[in-house]
Amino acid sequence: MVKHHTVTLMCVLQLLRGGPARCLLAFALSASAWLAHAQPAAPVFARPAVPIPALVNLKDLPAAFSKPAPTSLTDLRQIQERVAALVSQVSPAVVAVELGHSSGSGVVISSDGLVLTAGHVGIWAGHPVKFTFPNGKTARGNTVGLDEDADTGLMRITDPGPWPHVGVGELKHARLGDWALALGNPGGFDAKRSLVVRLGRIIRLMPGVVQTDCTIYPGDSGGPLFDMYGRVIGIHTAIASSTTENFHVPITEFFDTWNDLTAPLSPPPKPPPVRPQAYCGLSVVDDAVGCRLSKIEKNSPASKANLREGDHVLKVDGRRIEVSASFERWLAESEPGDTLQLEIKRGSKNLQVQIKLQTQPRGTK
Amino acid sequence: MKLALILLMAGLAQAALAQDEADYPALPRAQYRSGQAVLDAFAPVSTQTRNSILELNVDGSPVALGAVVDTNGLALTKASELGAGKLTCWLATGQEVEAQLLAVDDEDDVALVRVKAEGLKPIQWATDQVVEGQWVITPCLADTPLAVGIVSTLPHRIKPQLRAFIGVEFNQFATRPIIERVSKGFGAEKAGIKPGDVVVAVDGNLVTNSDQVRDILREFRDGQSVRMRFQREEKEFDESIQLMAPRPDQEQYELYADEDEDNLSGDVSLRSGGFDQAIEHDTVLEPWQCGGPLVNLDGKVVGLNIARASRVATYALPASLARQILTKLKAKAEEP
Repeated sequence: MVKHHTVTLMCVLQLLRGGPARCLLAFALSASAWLAHAQPAAPVFARPAVPIPALVNLKDLPAAFSKPAPTSLTDLRQIQERVAALVSQVSPAVVAVELGHSSGSGVVISSDGLVLTAGHVGIWAGHPVKFTFPNGKTARGNTVGLDEDADTGLMRITDPGPWPHVGVGELKHARLGDWALALGNPGGFDAKRSLVVRLGRIIRLMPGVVQTDCTIYPGDSGGPLFDMYGRVIGIHTAIASSTTENFHVPITEFFDTWNDLTAPLSPPPKPPPVRPQAYCGLSVVDDAVGCRLSKIEKNSPASKANLREGDHVLKVDGRRIEVSASFERWLAESEPGDTLQLEIKRGSKNLQVQIKLQTQPRGTK
Repeated sequence: MKLALILLMAGLAQAALAQDEADYPALPRAQYRSGQAVLDAFAPVSTQTRNSILELNVDGSPVALGAVVDTNGLALTKASELGAGKLTCWLATGQEVEAQLLAVDDEDDVALVRVKAEGLKPIQWATDQVVEGQWVITPCLADTPLAVGIVSTLPHRIKPQLRAFIGVEFNQFATRPIIERVSKGFGAEKAGIKPGDVVVAVDGNLVTNSDQVRDILREFRDGQSVRMRFQREEKEFDESIQLMAPRPDQEQYELYADEDEDNLSGDVSLRSGGFDQAIEHDTVLEPWQCGGPLVNLDGKVVGLNIARASRVATYALPASLARQILTKLKAKAEEP
């Protein structure tokens, strides 16, 4: 709806500047094409280098964080102070992402606008993305790449920065019970509400997935999980029914799949091969005798084999044909170039006919 | 638009993950964020507040918590959970006493009740604003809290959770909001609205298309009435039309009632939307655990838990709003 209006508005501007012909052109452009149209020279970006975990002093955390559980109000205040400070420190870099067909969350990790997200939020390289920051400011950009198995995804803000960003972390030193902060846009971006912050602890560390009790929800996908230094250590990916079953892609997976994520214009996956359809050039119907040829197309393998309308097909390659559906199925299973041996009943005579199937000519089904 | 998140629901993926999970050590449950070991650290907060809590029952079943607001036994709670039946409550002293419903604020779903008991201690309201990331504690009668969480968002308006309708369909091809169909049994039909009528204004706002009508109506709850102006041929007229949430036997129910179809959220409150202002926090509560105070580490009340809304959200009316409602309800209770 909004995009439609934007295109219409562009059209009015074009009408003033460039006359009706250009106006029509503007109407013909889709919303995404319009985005491209409005960016005269797309900046060329170098292939981004794999991010390096931010250095932190592991002794920098208050004592409460190294206990199996806090034991006093003092511990709880230490945690609270740290968490509240982290929220204001990292929030500006957390974005809502919209791709038209889906929406989720992401986190900016460089001043020129590199955005980590989940693979299942995005699609293949070059698709336009709208980013919305917690303060409501929006930016344009596109998808860079994704890895479906790891569920890692990379996007880029193409509008000129610098953008608020955060560092990435590592999980080498992560332990069960480490406190973690989840941010994102559960239920989708809502300007009145802005970001939603949740606190939890690391419950399990598995290869390829981190489990926490930070509750997440659809719309959070691609949003960041932070350690208590404010570094991204995971990206929200999945949940199961219990509120303590929240899963995050470990940041390490992004390093491991970085080459795939940033491969220059990684091509979309090839569509599954469509099996070439064999062409025979006849139609069949059922009648009292069996499978009757009802129509023979001109210049088709059927007409070249001298088949005639009214012939009945008795056997194909020695197998008896009793109804037209069996013959149609036989044809569907065959490939162009196959030769079929048909036994035909024409009047009172039985004939043997060989028919060589072709590829489907253009314009036929 | 699709909201992305992979849901591992009772399928192969979950089975595979469960298998994986079993292979890796997990944090002991007591050390989870709301595990007992963590809750134990909050004991001083509970000690300070447990005599200000009511655990309300209807016919013996727990329905809500309550927040004692004065020494005479006045308390606030969540109205829509009270239902019909005999209202009693448990106190921190172990007594069960009768409670009396005095007044209800339908806007924000708050009820004022009175209990006759000794030793009740009024809550202490916090005066400073909440900040994102601060601890929030839901105390109960016990010496450790029910659950804890953090402030997820600053107070904001919460839309009604279930869409309520006036019961019309608009002509999709017209630019103006022309009514094409009037559904049986909804408010528009009862008010005599007919196909062909054009909506001119809703709740005092002029409208020029059907999207604007829908946007404004979205803010109204089941049972509320909205003033609308219509045009029929040359004449304009005003009507007050009641909105209604569709019942399960109506076609609109299928379309709007059950958006959280995978039941990712567990049990949510019957009324979980349509609040003027609410703090969103990530405490995992059951619906019957709402209605009581939400406190900070000093044991001061920052809000009144008003609804369990989703897997990620519990709402609390901010202290400032709860206090305004309390004043209103006290006045209402004194009316003859």
